[in-house]
Amino acid sequence: MVTPDLASEEDIAKLIIPNDLPDEQSTFRAYVEAKVYDKEGHLIQHHRQPMRSLTRYFLALMSVPVIGTYQGASINSAPSVLTNTLGLPSSISGTNAGNILWDWAIQLGSGTQAFSPTLTSLAAPILNGTGAGELSYGSLSASYSGGSIYVSLQVTNTTSSSISVTEIGITSTVYLQYSSGSKSTYNFLLSYDTFSTPISVPAYGMAVFQITLSFTG
Amino acid sequence: MVGKGIEDVDITMPRDAHNTGKDTPTFDAYLTAVVRDSEGRVVKVHRQRSHSPTANFIGLMLPLTYFNVTGNSYTLTNTGGSTFSYKPVPNASAQCISYPINASNYPTYLLMIQVGSGQQSNPFSATKLASPIANGSGTGQLVYGQPSIPSNITVSGNSAYFTISQTFNNNSGSTITITEVGIILNLQFTNTNNYANTNFGGVLVWYDVLSSSISVPNGGSVTIYYTFTVNP
Repeated sequence: MVTPDLASEEDIAKLIIPNDLPDEQSTFRAYVEAKVYDKEGHLIQHHRQPMRSLTRYFLALMSVPVIGTYQGASINSAPSVLTNTLGLPSSISGTNAGNILWDWAIQLGSGTQAFSPTLTSLAAPILNGTGAGELSYGSLSASYSGGSIYVSLQVTNTTSSSISVTEIGITSTVYLQYSSGSKSTYNFLLSYDTFSTPISVPAYGMAVFQITLSFTG
Repeated sequence: MVGKGIEDVDITMPRDAHNTGKDTPTFDAYLTAVVRDSEGRVVKVHRQRSHSPTANFIGLMLPLTYFNVTGNSYTLTNTGGSTFSYKPVPNASAQCISYPINASNYPTYLLMIQVGSGQQSNPFSATKLASPIANGSGTGQLVYGQPSIPSNITVSGNSAYFTISQTFNNNSGSTITITEVGIILNLQFTNTNNYANTNFGGVLVWYDVLSSSISVPNGGSVTIYYTFTVNP
């Protein structure tokens, strides 16, 4: 089949995100999950919903394993995706060598806001603590199985009132290391979701929140 | 203590949490190929979903918490079959992915989008293409152009995306058929003490078997576009 010539880059761009693909399903899936336990340790709620809201910062971070941290073999400068989107320097000023690494965490909140891929924080983050309205953030873990990555957080409500969790996000800290151990840190919001129904952590109870990113279905 | 009584609880999975295949994924990837004849006219546009980050990609995406909590490293495999125990740690002696610094140049960069004429059944565990098409003008070869990386992430409503691309010219004298495509990153690990830098070489991070083969006519070209998007 011979198609008409493409007139411009705009025509090419229209091809890039096809909306007329055959009925072929994506293999990528993501889920947000919460298990709530009462003060006796009984499981009282298990909530699971699809995650729908990754930010542009997630996309920029995942560009590192795809396009790397340099513009090319002989260009000692970071790709503009990293400098423009994440605000990383195009080149570190320092001695010896530089490198990059990152960590993730789960942040919980009690507010709601409309999603935007440029969101930088939750609407009303729940602080880590034992005061009113606070949750004690416990152990964070990360694992993988095949093409899926799991991040989970355990929180405890040490207050005498239940605490309602309405929003959840993955936060990331990116470290740039240089000059025998010096570090610069940068913080981002990688995902933002509101729960379809609020998660209520009872007084003296606890909850485990897990986010699953499945790249291969 | 935790989990006691789990048998007593009637756990009802929300209907929309089951993987029905109909919910909109939060992340997606697409592969587009534009084939041109020797006159530069577009003769075919191939579009498909891209399905397959490799095990190398998953290892490189893992957060520090995984390495800190488990104490494990992650075995990466390059296209030559060599392995590297990846274990990033925030200290001066750990070998982590290199980042530009004015004092030295240990580039980690997009080496190429590679095309091939074979296929393999388990893309996730692939570490190289089944049958790479060599860069050149000889029989069965394509002339590889330079890969193009994005200048920014484009935001459109709730979606955001970036695209990489590369053009291949066919000066071989015959039609060449492409059946597989992969993204290869040249990976270097450095520590900030600068005592141990490892140029690990080409690492396959993404791999797709084409849903239908692509024929590149003699004198023609093909441009491969990979698009990665969130909230499409």
